[in-house]
Amino acid sequence: MAREIYAYKCRLCDTMHYPFRMVCKNCKQNDFFEFDTVPLPRDGKLLTFTRVYNLPPQYEVPTLGLGIVELENGMRMLGQLDIDEPKAGMAVKGSVEVVREETYDDFYGMVFRSA
Amino acid sequence: MRDVYVAGIGITTFTRLEFALSEIASYASMMALKDAGITEVDQVYVANMGAPRVNHQTALASAVVDSLSLTPAGAAAIENGPASGGSAIKAGFQAVASGMDDVVLVVGVERMREVNGLEATDFIATLTHPIAEYIYGVTLPAHAAMFTRLYMDKYGVTERHLAMVGVKNQNAALNNEWAHLQQEISLEGILDSPEAMTNNPYVAEPLRFFDACPVSDGGAAIILVSEEKAKELGRPMIKISGVGQATDTHAVHEREEPTDLLAVRKAAADAFEMAGLTPDDVDVAELHDAFTILEIAESEEVGFFPKGEGHLALERGDTALGGKIPINVGGGLKGRGHPVGATGVAQAWEIVTQLRGDGGDRQVEDASVGFTCNFGGFGNNVVCLTFEKEA
Amino acid sequence: MSVDLEKILRPIPAEMAPYEPKYMLLASGEAAVVRAVDRDEIPDLLKHVEPLLHVERDYYDVVAARVYAELLSHYQYRFQDQYVLAVQVDGELAAIVNGRQVTPNLGLSLHTLALRRGLRIGAHAFAAKMEYHFDQLGHDEVLIVAESPIGFRRWMIEYKLEKRFETPHELGGVPSWALTRELFDAARSSLVVGRRPVPPEILEKAKEAILPPSDPPTPALDPLSATRSKYDPTATALMVERWAMEGGMQDA
Repeated sequence: MAREIYAYKCRLCDTMHYPFRMVCKNCKQNDFFEFDTVPLPRDGKLLTFTRVYNLPPQYEVPTLGLGIVELENGMRMLGQLDIDEPKAGMAVKGSVEVVREETYDDFYGMVFRSA
Repeated sequence: MRDVYVAGIGITTFTRLEFALSEIASYASMMALKDAGITEVDQVYVANMGAPRVNHQTALASAVVDSLSLTPAGAAAIENGPASGGSAIKAGFQAVASGMDDVVLVVGVERMREVNGLEATDFIATLTHPIAEYIYGVTLPAHAAMFTRLYMDKYGVTERHLAMVGVKNQNAALNNEWAHLQQEISLEGILDSPEAMTNNPYVAEPLRFFDACPVSDGGAAIILVSEEKAKELGRPMIKISGVGQATDTHAVHEREEPTDLLAVRKAAADAFEMAGLTPDDVDVAELHDAFTILEIAESEEVGFFPKGEGHLALERGDTALGGKIPINVGGGLKGRGHPVGATGVAQAWEIVTQLRGDGGDRQVEDASVGFTCNFGGFGNNVVCLTFEKEA
Repeated sequence: MSVDLEKILRPIPAEMAPYEPKYMLLASGEAAVVRAVDRDEIPDLLKHVEPLLHVERDYYDVVAARVYAELLSHYQYRFQDQYVLAVQVDGELAAIVNGRQVTPNLGLSLHTLALRRGLRIGAHAFAAKMEYHFDQLGHDEVLIVAESPIGFRRWMIEYKLEKRFETPHELGGVPSWALTRELFDAARSSLVVGRRPVPPEILEKAKEAILPPSDPPTPALDPLSATRSKYDPTATALMVERWAMEGGMQDA
């Protein structure tokens, strides 16, 4: 089964949210879980990025690329970058992979590579 | 609503302190109580972010109030990330303004050096969005770095501007005996010489080592009182005239314009409106320069300079001691240090010191209106305060 | 019959290329000189190492004790092929690094002791000795360990060392890590700085006298506080100890 990262679409006003929130930001609907899940698109363009040198102790790599991507549907998300020389505005493609490993758990998130 | 005055201030050296957390809080509090000339208070607010996680201690306020023999006064801890200090001052302000309490001790404290730097980085990173940010390995320097790159592309801020803020604030700390960093740096040493890029390596591109504040331990305290009590105590009459607090989206990527810090803008505007002041009235300001870029961005958002021109004001020397609006003359977070829970209170401590005219070598001449901006999360929870000296 | 025992006990030194001094600008804008320390200057270093034995933080006590022993035995001819470099700022001692040659192809890093902090002097000093091993002594590999997490992070993050866990390191017999020539060349552009030759007046000033460090690491107010706080979270013992130090209490 392919793993997805989901956006949350309000059933009343169709506003999309990522990440999940309890109350719609637009219409403030207050019925529990009135959202449909929609997989986030994988294609987008890189808005801004960094390479981090001082990482939390769980990471065994010396540096980590991170960036904020504007996806093709206009939503934004933060993800890890597997790109040697990122440039603002470049086209990227995401894939859902393990982004953090704790002792007993793996956490999945989006890793972007140049498209 | 009653007027609220600051009748006493106290601080510890910001550095690595090998004392228990409640003891650090108590030292700062004792100085503030002594400064105000009181031994009893109605309420204690302790601002702290990391006690349960870093120091393995909960219910810190109960420990502090008893250690100071202030029982049976009310006491509560306030955890609001790096804006804990400002938030605790706001709570103290509300207590006195409402008429419920006459004397409130607000003390901010943090002991982060109990763990190593990587663990401290991880502890601060837990304030980010758990699913959309934290799991990716995002740290606060990473957020600041991505913000900086956008700012550079949009407004023409360069690494030189960032280094100028770093040099200004770290060298300002030399005039502040309580400050963590007591080491002069120069633009040549961190930017221009062939060795500069090794002296000043990247923490998160494009931010470098000297763009970030140090990890510090420390405490700071202020005593808030009613007008009647302030007159009775006879200390200089420093009034908290404006309080503003605002929030923004938890995940940074959800903000419509990623270079805007809307919570800073709103919190500052609210504080100025409440005080009946404008940014032009401010004589001395403490901005939350956890990273050099933040001083530039906040100086615009609070209204000192037009959006996108903070770095130009810096070039003109407007933000240095003796300039149009001196910012962080005591070193800011960059030079004084950043014990997260204590920072908001330490900013108030610096402003009250200035308004009392006790600034020594860093005194801003004829300072009568002061301003603080305490920036929590990555801009998602901000407290701004205005202070005024009354003759 | 007279056997000259000293002849037996004193190691025969190997040929080692002399260290060519260099200088660099620090973050403060001051010039720091890295130079080899002559044997007869060792006592001048020892008196500045000794106080650090009592600094119970960041492993300064352990490192200072070992450095003291290494320097002293070097001075007394009881160490095989050790070299000692000093970093000086305006004559003032800012760091000491030492190491030794194991074979003509293999180096061994001993210690990096920074006496002034906040300017990456320790990092520059460490890079200088690695440069000495590879560029001047011609070693292919240097064995390294660290006592302190600060040192460990330095080479884990900056140099990305390889494991040589089958080789116990001479410092405490713990598993070794290795910096190879390849790894060093990869790190060279970002980590190794310095200019040669050193202007004569700067070098003269450094050689004239090893001046005491102006702001060396000092013990915490309570010399045992770091240890005690682990066992005494109430800090009562700390306070009693401190009162005693301040002369406010007897027999504490």
